[in-house]
Amino acid sequence: MASVRTEALTKRFGSITALRDVSLEIADGEFFAVLGPPGAGKTTLLRTIIGLETPDGGDVFVDEERITETYPGDRDIAIMFQNLALYPDKTVYGNLAFPLKQARVPRREIRRRIEETAVKLHIERLLERKPAKLSGGERQRVALGRALVREPRAMLLDEPLSALDALLRLEMRSELKRLQRDLGRTLIYVTHDQVEAMTMPDRVAVLREGEVQQVGRPEEIYHRPSSHFVASVIGSPPMNLIPAVVESANGRLRVVHDQFVVEALAPVERLSAGGSCYIGIRPEDVHLSSGEGFAGRVYATEPLGGETVVDVTIGGRIIKLITAGASGLSQDAPVRVTFDASRLHLFDADGTTVLSSAGDGSLLRVKDAGRT
Amino acid sequence: MTAIRLERLTKDFRSVLAVDNLDLSISDGEFVALLGPSGCGKTTTMNMIAGMETPTRGQIYFDERAMSGVAPGKRNVGFVFQNYAIFTHMTVQENLSFGLRARKHAPRREEIDREVKRIAEIVGVASILDRKAGRLSVNDMQKVALGRSMIVQPAIFLLDEPFSNLDAAFRAYMRAELKHIQHDIGQTMIYVTHDQVEAMSMADRIAVMDQGVLQQYATPMEVYERPANTFVARFVGSNPINFLPASELPAHLLRKGGGDEPLTAAIRPEYLTIVAPDCDRAALRAKVNLVEPLGAKDVIHLAHDGQELRVVSRPQRRPALGEHVGIALDPARLLLFDDHGQAVS
Repeated sequence: MASVRTEALTKRFGSITALRDVSLEIADGEFFAVLGPPGAGKTTLLRTIIGLETPDGGDVFVDEERITETYPGDRDIAIMFQNLALYPDKTVYGNLAFPLKQARVPRREIRRRIEETAVKLHIERLLERKPAKLSGGERQRVALGRALVREPRAMLLDEPLSALDALLRLEMRSELKRLQRDLGRTLIYVTHDQVEAMTMPDRVAVLREGEVQQVGRPEEIYHRPSSHFVASVIGSPPMNLIPAVVESANGRLRVVHDQFVVEALAPVERLSAGGSCYIGIRPEDVHLSSGEGFAGRVYATEPLGGETVVDVTIGGRIIKLITAGASGLSQDAPVRVTFDASRLHLFDADGTTVLSSAGDGSLLRVKDAGRT
Repeated sequence: MTAIRLERLTKDFRSVLAVDNLDLSISDGEFVALLGPSGCGKTTTMNMIAGMETPTRGQIYFDERAMSGVAPGKRNVGFVFQNYAIFTHMTVQENLSFGLRARKHAPRREEIDREVKRIAEIVGVASILDRKAGRLSVNDMQKVALGRSMIVQPAIFLLDEPFSNLDAAFRAYMRAELKHIQHDIGQTMIYVTHDQVEAMSMADRIAVMDQGVLQQYATPMEVYERPANTFVARFVGSNPINFLPASELPAHLLRKGGGDEPLTAAIRPEYLTIVAPDCDRAALRAKVNLVEPLGAKDVIHLAHDGQELRVVSRPQRRPALGEHVGIALDPARLLLFDDHGQAVS
């Protein structure tokens, strides 16, 4: 086990910059996720850490030892790819033993390590089976075991759950988290799935076009995203973004939309009167109301079982909200909605966060545009 | 617009019974999802409706007219596939107008233009009509594919996993769009998917299939709240339903029907509530194993007598790992199944 650090890592492929100044510090024993859409540079980052790619700039450190030029096989870092690549003709035992035989580990030591790993992963009764006789989840655990037996200083996982069906993915999500907690291994986990990035890691780095956008605990990123890009990649359905205009009245900043006004109750930096900005609010912070609220019409309802996503047209834009149970609403029905002012976000014209109220009701106030 | 009826529809691929005695009625203007895991027979069913596969037995009726012997091209069916079939060398405008221009009695130029404009507005590509389709994003290509099928006003619209190549945010957007469009134009639609979220959120009714056999045909909320069997209960729902032996629950919670004794109890994770272990309402006791924060809510994993139970709750009351808690449940939400996995009413 060890800490992993990248310092200003840059990687170019021809005219494309896959990684740009990526600096990350991953603590010993930490579960660290890297989240981003396809093409964000996630896999390139893993490949650079393990040594399959040579960076054009920057360095990689393990326990503060610089390994940028170290041969991949000598870095003592294990990687598990999306396609598990188990040897079909070898038993589970044979698959687990293979990397150790390659490393010329003595036979008795191989047996000890495999038995120990098999117990941890609950695969001790599967050791004599061939991969074809295993379930999807069992294969996943064997692949993980093959990375673990080498007792690497850190483990890298590249979208390991993306090939599994929905139910199994759910099972494996919690299982992997528990395993990592029990094993206490440093784990770097690449994913494009925001649910995995929310639920599994200690911290997440959000990557976009090769650049780190934000690093933090999942809930920190959820409640205090650094930009509307980050806000839109985490949370499902994504945060509503509403374009608005900045005004100033009585020394107070107001953000104005056709239907409503958001008033800042404290000074807000980086927004000036006359400019444009965005109001962000997550679907669970928009509520249907029987009295107060902004008038809209139901565009569509999306029942999900325990809850329903209701799409409401307000001032020409569709706002998504989540309500518990069935909505009982039909398309085109008139409705009123309210916004939870303690859960609003303001972004400047470039999409950078200016303010996230994150539970604090004393920062912003929402008013009806007709009643100012 | 057309009503569809499938009568004892069966497809036998030598050793595999892909579709087994399927009876299904789809009303004029209805949006029906065929939902199931891969190999359940949903795509074979759709292909038979389109005329691309010939049924081994059974019959397909469009507005009570039998379709056997009617060629695919004569069935007036529109298609949208997972891999958007568009002409990449043509502009968006040319792609949309293609179906009308290719007709034997093609409408007049102005009429085509008017129709293209109308459909482009509906599917949201009006601003990119002059772009080459090959240069579009994956998301826009799928909108064009949708528009291209819509413009010829087929009697029936068949969609085979049309969103599975799109990114998550755009998929969420398109779900609302397609549902809205379908409601507006009142088109009969059959939507094939393995994604229960898509089936739940868009369809008027869902036909859940497994191994060629229809498991349940009902509205999304009915399928969710009153699944016909344990397969449906497990397959539908974003957070897996909890199963436990009925014998572990206090007897007063178990409704005794006239039929078989219930063997398995099931309850959805949002209908369980965490309470103090000594609370009167606690029907079960358990230990907190794991908390998964999802942002808007938490999934709390509990260990109860060697079994795992999940509770979905608001993040405000978050228990600690290892904490002993009580679980209260709403008896009205409790589902009971017999030893064949069939719902006990």
